[in-house]
Amino acid sequence: MKKRKITALFMTLAMTAGLLAGCGSSGDAGAAADTTAGDTGAAQEAATPEESADDSAPAEESANDSTGDAQAVTIWYYWETEGHQVALDQVIQDYNASQEQYEVTAKYVPFADFKKQLSIGASADELPDIAILDSPDHASYVAMGIFEDLTGKFDVSNYYEGTVNSCTVDGKLYGVPFGANCLALYYNEDMLNEAGCSVPTTWDELKETAKALTTDSVTGLALCSVQNEEGTFNFVPWLWSTGATSYDINNDNGVRALSFIQSLVEEGVMSKECINWTQGDVMNQFISGNVAMMENGPWQIPTMQSEAPDLNWKVTLIPKDTEYSSVLGGENYAVINGGNVDGALDFLTYATSEEKVKFLMDKFGYISADKTIAESQFEADSPYQPFVEELNYAMPRGPLAEWPSVSDAISLAFNQVITGTATPEDAAAEAQATIDSIMK
Amino acid sequence: MGCCTELYLCKLARQPFSIRKELFMGKIKKKFRYDNVGIFFVLPAFIYMLVFVGYPIIRNIILSFQDVGAGNLVRGAKNFVMFDNYVELMGDKVFTTSLFNTLRYTVLCLVFQFVIGFALALFFNRKFAFAKPIRGILLVPWMIPVTVTALMFKLLFATDIGVINFILRSLHLIGKNIEWLTTPGTAMFALICANVWIGIPFNMILISTGLTTIPKELYESSSIDGANKVQTFMKITLPLLKPTIESVLILGFIYTFKVYDLVYVMTSGGPVNSTHMLSTYSYKLSFEMFKYSKGSAVANVLLVILLIVGVFYIKATTDEEEA
Repeated sequence: MKKRKITALFMTLAMTAGLLAGCGSSGDAGAAADTTAGDTGAAQEAATPEESADDSAPAEESANDSTGDAQAVTIWYYWETEGHQVALDQVIQDYNASQEQYEVTAKYVPFADFKKQLSIGASADELPDIAILDSPDHASYVAMGIFEDLTGKFDVSNYYEGTVNSCTVDGKLYGVPFGANCLALYYNEDMLNEAGCSVPTTWDELKETAKALTTDSVTGLALCSVQNEEGTFNFVPWLWSTGATSYDINNDNGVRALSFIQSLVEEGVMSKECINWTQGDVMNQFISGNVAMMENGPWQIPTMQSEAPDLNWKVTLIPKDTEYSSVLGGENYAVINGGNVDGALDFLTYATSEEKVKFLMDKFGYISADKTIAESQFEADSPYQPFVEELNYAMPRGPLAEWPSVSDAISLAFNQVITGTATPEDAAAEAQATIDSIMK
Repeated sequence: MGCCTELYLCKLARQPFSIRKELFMGKIKKKFRYDNVGIFFVLPAFIYMLVFVGYPIIRNIILSFQDVGAGNLVRGAKNFVMFDNYVELMGDKVFTTSLFNTLRYTVLCLVFQFVIGFALALFFNRKFAFAKPIRGILLVPWMIPVTVTALMFKLLFATDIGVINFILRSLHLIGKNIEWLTTPGTAMFALICANVWIGIPFNMILISTGLTTIPKELYESSSIDGANKVQTFMKITLPLLKPTIESVLILGFIYTFKVYDLVYVMTSGGPVNSTHMLSTYSYKLSFEMFKYSKGSAVANVLLVILLIVGVFYIKATTDEEEA
């Protein structure tokens, strides 16, 4: 009986253990698999990904053959779009073929797991040599102390200020901007013409236009409103346009921004479903003709052009309250300290050369973080051109080690008003209390 | 035991070899009597558990008493703050919502899963054409990956394009689309529906197996004695199924209580944190907001609750054996 008791105790332990580390990896994998999620998860992902592996494999082999002892340099990135992966892979292949000292390989880590993998990797000392990460998270990882100080190693004087700021902490440069993007307003030109509307430039015009465009099957406006960083990314342009900052919300400006979004939902010109729509979902709704206008980024353009070649759409600045405003997005390269720093620097120098940047930006649908490249990057009538203009108004989130907590407060406030669970005043006050407790 | 063994070995070392050997072998024989050899069979599993289950649990408990965030995960002092994280959680609205949500979700899921699963098990226990193949087909929800189920239910419950609203509207039961996943109360309802759908086959198959272990003779003699259907069920089926029912409920509780993927995919804890579970909130704190210690404190609360349930499970299973 006693033995059975012990066996039963083990069983229970095994079942409950799953949730400890298990809250990380997906559910029913069981205890043992979960506790090692950091390593096995990483290994699996290395083995599984991308279609582009077909292209890279031969190159790696040949490089290995010629240089038996090339030093390995690994990169982690989270782009799921095939075009992005193929383009990055192309640059890596070219680099590997161009020299014999280093052998670069890239690994895809899904966006949802990326932060987790970096955190686990940091505590377990299992990090890549280069990480290409979302710019608002940069400061947190600098605080963690895993990034190499790159001050003076790269010339970023020509880069957009916001992009450089996103990887600068205490005056030191801890990364190199990969590329820039920002949000702007897409509109369905046919729908706009049919309703006899002109392109909106202010909030009032936007609401009137959205009302005119809303029918039984079409809602006027959509913006990704999920309650996480992606949602915050889409909310802050509205907040900042009033003159409020990310850290100072509980005032007339902050409340006005929250009230405006709330009124869009209450008057039925924006669907409440937006709180479950990622930016990709919003784009799908737009190209399916369910939505007449959307806030979105330039990286959607290649997909939109291939999926809906006949759709007649244009891009304009996000309408303003008191000032034009947009939010800066994009990724930064960061070099992990303690890894193969020399190899990482050598590759970055290669990848940030003008020729390679141009190639990557074109394939990605990104705007170069380098102003001189960006300004001559597109034709005047290119759909990307409005984003270059919008970039002048785009500000970065943070940089702040505690940004994720501030971001959570902001996206919560907007979600509260969209779902009607709090008034704009209460939501602003609550967000402010959270932010104050973080910033104190 | 370790201490005793060492003392014994010290004493042993002072004896001449021949005596030593004899004493030692005698001790071995005494210590490991025939039935104690079992220890060696348990040892590999025990070591495995210690390394892969025990270590993370202890690491996690230690972590929850520290102040680890983005700043000191890798380097920098990790200070012990004792119960600060837990005290902070008590005042955290999202935590209390998550705790209450997890309990509510688990209990409601268990009730519906169990009752419907039981009914189906009884139904398919009868001999009729295709009973077995149909029962097999009913297992499909259990076999589908949870993320797929979650996506499916997310679409079913969508406001404008969802099938459920479409059916309700066609039947004129509702005039306006219900915003299932964007209203706090109904989002929880949708999650429970999805999980009940997954859990029914699990309950059904275990209870079906239990039913086959009840000797047919008992039913025969009870029918000779003139017992009606209800009496047969209450006096024979239920009491003899008790061990099965206990296992089903407790395993179901543990499985349901640690739900993660279903919630993460369907609502990600939204709208407005109203469907956060302990697991999703722990994940969010740790890996989205870099508050590792607070996140592990939430995971430990989850662990303690499940351990309590686990103790009941042990008690239930051992009682059965002793009875």
